[in-house]
Amino acid sequence: MTQDTEMKELPAPISSSAAPTSPSTLQHLKEIVSLLETGAYAREVRRIVRAIRLTMALRRKLKASVLSSFLNFALPPGSDLHSRLSSFIPKEDDYEMDVDSATQAPAKHPLPEIEIFCYLVLLIFLIDQKKYDEAKACASASIARLKNLNRRTVDVLASRLYFYYSLSYELTGDLAEIRGNLLALHRIATLRHDELGQETLLNLLLRNYLHYNLYDQAEKLRSKAPRFEAHSNQQFCRYLFYLGKIRTIQLEYTDAKESLLQAARKAPIAALGFRVQCNKWAIIVRLLLGEIPERTVFMQKGMETALRPYFELTNAVRIGDLELFRTVAEKFSSTFSSDRTNNLIVRLRHNVIRTGLRNISISYSRISLADVAKKLRLDSENPIADAESIVSKAIRDGAIDATVDHMNGWMVSKETGDIYSTSEPQIAFNSRIAFCLNMHNEAVRALRFPPNSHKEKESAEKRRERQQQEQELAKHIAEEDDDDF
Amino acid sequence: MDPKLTEVSQHFERFKAALVRHDYDSCNNLLSQLKVLLTGFRSLPPLFEDTPNAVHELTVARDIYEHAVLLSVKVEDQDAFERDFFQLKPYYTDARNRLPPSAQEHPILGLNLLRLLVQNRIAEFHTELELLSTSALENPCIKHAVELEQSFMEGAYNRVLSARQTVPHETFGYFMDLLAKTVRDEIAGCSEKAYDYLSISDARQMLLFSSDQELLDYVKEEHPEWEITNDVVYFQKAKESAPCKEIPSLQLINQTLSYARELERIV
Repeated sequence: MTQDTEMKELPAPISSSAAPTSPSTLQHLKEIVSLLETGAYAREVRRIVRAIRLTMALRRKLKASVLSSFLNFALPPGSDLHSRLSSFIPKEDDYEMDVDSATQAPAKHPLPEIEIFCYLVLLIFLIDQKKYDEAKACASASIARLKNLNRRTVDVLASRLYFYYSLSYELTGDLAEIRGNLLALHRIATLRHDELGQETLLNLLLRNYLHYNLYDQAEKLRSKAPRFEAHSNQQFCRYLFYLGKIRTIQLEYTDAKESLLQAARKAPIAALGFRVQCNKWAIIVRLLLGEIPERTVFMQKGMETALRPYFELTNAVRIGDLELFRTVAEKFSSTFSSDRTNNLIVRLRHNVIRTGLRNISISYSRISLADVAKKLRLDSENPIADAESIVSKAIRDGAIDATVDHMNGWMVSKETGDIYSTSEPQIAFNSRIAFCLNMHNEAVRALRFPPNSHKEKESAEKRRERQQQEQELAKHIAEEDDDDF
Repeated sequence: MDPKLTEVSQHFERFKAALVRHDYDSCNNLLSQLKVLLTGFRSLPPLFEDTPNAVHELTVARDIYEHAVLLSVKVEDQDAFERDFFQLKPYYTDARNRLPPSAQEHPILGLNLLRLLVQNRIAEFHTELELLSTSALENPCIKHAVELEQSFMEGAYNRVLSARQTVPHETFGYFMDLLAKTVRDEIAGCSEKAYDYLSISDARQMLLFSSDQELLDYVKEEHPEWEITNDVVYFQKAKESAPCKEIPSLQLINQTLSYARELERIV
């Protein structure tokens, strides 16, 4: 799971366009630093976000030598921070002296943004080099520094740092250690109205809890933590995934299905591992709900092999064959236990029986309970009594429409009524329309326009007018949403 | 030895002695005193400070809470059980690395699962289940509870009832009796929907009553709508909900209006 969810962090291959024209990684880093500087002075968070995106594209090209010359450039040599950070970089023989460090000394006290950025780059490098212990030390140092910084422009960098902080501990399996620290950071982020930070930290905490199967604590934290409009799509996807997991465990399948499917849909295409995880859980939840996922779900590109066990499982549930179900569960038990879905699959047994029973009730208008027991392959000392109580429970839960005749020991199915004489089709139609409309509204709300693009053409008054209109529309949509639900 | 610890141990000995004598009142008194005394130790949760006697203190405290849980089963107090169990839980989860495992752990976890089942708190049941390792799931005490839940969900009630004979631990009896009551209500609910009628003797057998009179009392109390004539129980036929012929006009108008409004916004 670790690997899978982390995949999303890998950047989409956007670097390729920039690579050939640019001179060197170091040059790139310098450009990013200047971008950060302008961002910090102008207080434009957008520039910082862009800087981070550029950094992610450089991730694979980072080398020890590049990093050390970068540190020389960005931080005053001989300063406390400089020596501390340099000590993390592994020594290499082909250490080349960089001219820049001597000639181009930056300001005495580097901007906090630059400082944090240095930490971030170094941390990513250490994790990629699998130097986890150094990464942990570096991350902890950066977190200690972050606690004392209160600048909105740092928030974006900080949220990335939190992520790698947690990742470095997860990779060494010490996730429990930093739980207290993360909670403290979340508290600080809340006090500072750092919403992106809150979002990231909440997800990290949920991940932390779920890593140890502490669903109870995770749900308590989740339900009490402040929620707001998502700032980052990635974080929102994660949140939905964790939420889906929690709800699955707590048997709220309908909500769980919604969250999991939404997470799978919203996740970027590059995050294959994450989407596979979402799909696995979503399949199980749908099975538990009594739905049978369509075949296309299992045939999605790149997922066929990963979803194979779940495909066979679905097949067993669809047929309603307990024996087949048992063999599949045994055959793939190692997969299921590494996915940690074993307990959920145990729950499915009950659905297999239900489906089998439904098939029987559709095919026969009258059948003896002994035959039901045989068809369901209930192996117990008293199959007929078992079958009888199972059938009666299924009737009560509305899974089948039948009556049981105790005297003669048979089950009599009722005529299935014409579904089109009920309001069922209307309900189905309504739910689909609601889904489409909701999708449209979400899309409208998610539209973003580049600021200043038509500033020149618009007079100030016009702009105000337009903004007002936009706000009203947004408010309108929001209000109506409240009405609907 | 630490005088505080000695005091606790002495109290605890007296508590155990009272427990053997089945003197539950003095047990409860001693337990309250013990709990107060335990708050004086800094090595216990939530502080978990690393004092020199930490391991010993933790073991004693765990032992006390385990006894408290078992006591609550004996006096049949579910609330006390829940309270004591939650106090005990950190010793099993957070202090796992520092203490030797306790022999009582699995029976108590199994008891807790059973309690959640009896109280019909299935979501919490599954949340607890997730915390258990595969090896713990193999333990008879826990397996028992897990299988009960499965049979319960499937509707194989007589399997639930026959499990009464195979309890893995003597303390399970109390909750199993409670479970039997829950099962009876479930069966009654199911029969009502599944059968048109049942003969008295069949109904008695199914609802696990030993005499017809008990059955009649039960019906009078819980299901006064059932009719009993000529030794046959007729369940109410009111369940037959005729297909709704009426058009839900208001609802339809509302829906159509909302479609129109949304469409207007799109165009």
